[in-house]
Amino acid sequence: MDYTNKEPLLSLKDVDISFKNGKNVFKAVQDVSFDIYEGETVSLVGESGSGKTTIGRAIVRVNPLSKGEITYRGKRISGKLSKAEDRDVVRKIQMIFQDPAASLNERATIEYIISEGLYNFHLFEDEKDRMQKVEKIIEDVGLLPEHLTRYPHEFSGGQRQRVGIARSIVMEPEFIVADEPISALDVSIRAQILNLLKKFQDEKGITYLFIAHDLSVVRYISDRIVVIYKGRIMEIAETEELFNHPLHPYTKSLMSAIPVPDPIIEKEKSLFVYEPEKMHDYSEEKPSLVDIGGGHFVYGSPSEIEKYKAVRFS
Amino acid sequence: MADIDTNAVVNEDELFRFIDHDTIESEKIIAPRYSYWRSVFRVFFRKKSSWVMIVLLVLLLLCSFVLPIFCPYRPNENVTLSTSFHLSPKEAMQYFAERGQGGIKWILGTGSTGNSIFYGIWSSARTSLLLAIICAAINMTIGVVVGAVWGYSKSVDQVLLVIYSIIANVPFILMITVLVYVIGSGFWSFIFALTITGWFGIAYFFRTQVLIIRDREYSLASRCLGTPTSRIVSKNIMPFLTSVIVTILATELPSYISMEVFLSYIGVGLSANVASLGRMIQEAQTAFLTYWWEFWPPVFIAAVLTIILYVLGQNLADATDPRTHM
Repeated sequence: MDYTNKEPLLSLKDVDISFKNGKNVFKAVQDVSFDIYEGETVSLVGESGSGKTTIGRAIVRVNPLSKGEITYRGKRISGKLSKAEDRDVVRKIQMIFQDPAASLNERATIEYIISEGLYNFHLFEDEKDRMQKVEKIIEDVGLLPEHLTRYPHEFSGGQRQRVGIARSIVMEPEFIVADEPISALDVSIRAQILNLLKKFQDEKGITYLFIAHDLSVVRYISDRIVVIYKGRIMEIAETEELFNHPLHPYTKSLMSAIPVPDPIIEKEKSLFVYEPEKMHDYSEEKPSLVDIGGGHFVYGSPSEIEKYKAVRFS
Repeated sequence: MADIDTNAVVNEDELFRFIDHDTIESEKIIAPRYSYWRSVFRVFFRKKSSWVMIVLLVLLLLCSFVLPIFCPYRPNENVTLSTSFHLSPKEAMQYFAERGQGGIKWILGTGSTGNSIFYGIWSSARTSLLLAIICAAINMTIGVVVGAVWGYSKSVDQVLLVIYSIIANVPFILMITVLVYVIGSGFWSFIFALTITGWFGIAYFFRTQVLIIRDREYSLASRCLGTPTSRIVSKNIMPFLTSVIVTILATELPSYISMEVFLSYIGVGLSANVASLGRMIQEAQTAFLTYWWEFWPPVFIAAVLTIILYVLGQNLADATDPRTHM
């Protein structure tokens, strides 16, 4: 994909997010900037506690920013918004949650859960129209209309996650933040959920920010990948570019951790360990995120960037 | 394992065969439909103690609400007959039978003014029950509504916590005593005294419960769907607190009965013209060894009422907890 002339759909600029507990300030995310273009799937990968979910929740306006801004179609969506703008953003940007058992209201029927967003924005003409929309979407995610009167605890994990997807898709959003939508699911049904997400992308042109830590899943679903470590972006590149030419040592360590489905190779494989203190010397040169060409960004000091460029284009 | 012939040649085709997989069929749920309230009643009536207590409660309700309509309690009806004072059950039955007024009315003897203890306890039980029900209704409604707002809003929380700390540190008995002294000791002023700050404790308890479940992920999901706060409270928080509400009710209802008994006993409760269990006990306290029939019936009724309400409340609280529905 050629990104040079396109307007980004969603854009994060120098975003800082910190959590305060009395006098303790914890910076969860620092200087994060990246763009997401219409119709693509961008994956945000990194280890636990790296700030992936925090960024996702900042986009759906749950976590406030302490610095920087987020724009959507050129308009700022972070900070205070007018009521009309707020409603507009809420409807267009939806979220799919990690744990389908925790994110569905146990005391509400599936019908209410799916209709919740429709009620809030009155996205239906009359009761009949609402029922039709709900029945259509429940069939689209592979469930049955007879499930509508049931409660979430009666469903399997995969079925619940499909209810979670249905309630976002029924809002007809343009952008979805999928926060590890398959990490709580059984391996055997992960592909089903991923294919469902892809199907909706093909049908409705939805853009995804896919938050994950499983690189093999990420490779399957995403167009571009953002690697994040301790709240900072380490590397951004198109999927195959990143997998073929990982430049940052942290990305390399992630790649080396992907299990190989061959016991002999897996046994012999040497893990690449990322040790930031030993690997980088930022005492004299300050690091930054630099495009080394072709939309491949790497975080490093000027001398490191030169080294990365030499490795990539030799 | 010895009898398995390991040399037998088994054709794998005979052991395994493909079955058709129907994706629609595999999504079907065959478990019976779940209904929250139906399950609550099923679990509630599964317990024998619920049935026993309900029968007892109906009997008590009949005696205390229906009986006084036909047989009103008149404490001063025999006040001129000084020979009828402090009669034991046996003596009273005999005494009034001789005067052609015998009957079940005197089965528990007479009190200090020749009043019927039997009618007295039912009239008193009615007062106590009414008091408990009205106080619980007022305190629970205010407490739960305020508690829900208190738990949900961080700014309200800061203000109410300060007020709560102040009120919670004023001794309850002192406050009631002052209030009863200021506004008099009638039935309604007693209710006023019990409810003016009584809801605060319930609201505080409820606030803590709301805090626990406020930030659950489904509420976050509702916010992402643009659900207004009022509906998040009513749809995402309140249904989860049904069992908490019933549990509070189960402890509050009997506590008002005990509280009335206690406050009347120490002399700051209802006024003398209102028959109540507390007053009956207070009046008979000095004579509970000599005129035992005046002291023990109201104590017994107060205890039975408390136990019935408590057991029923606990059973209902258990039944409203969906973890017991499986």
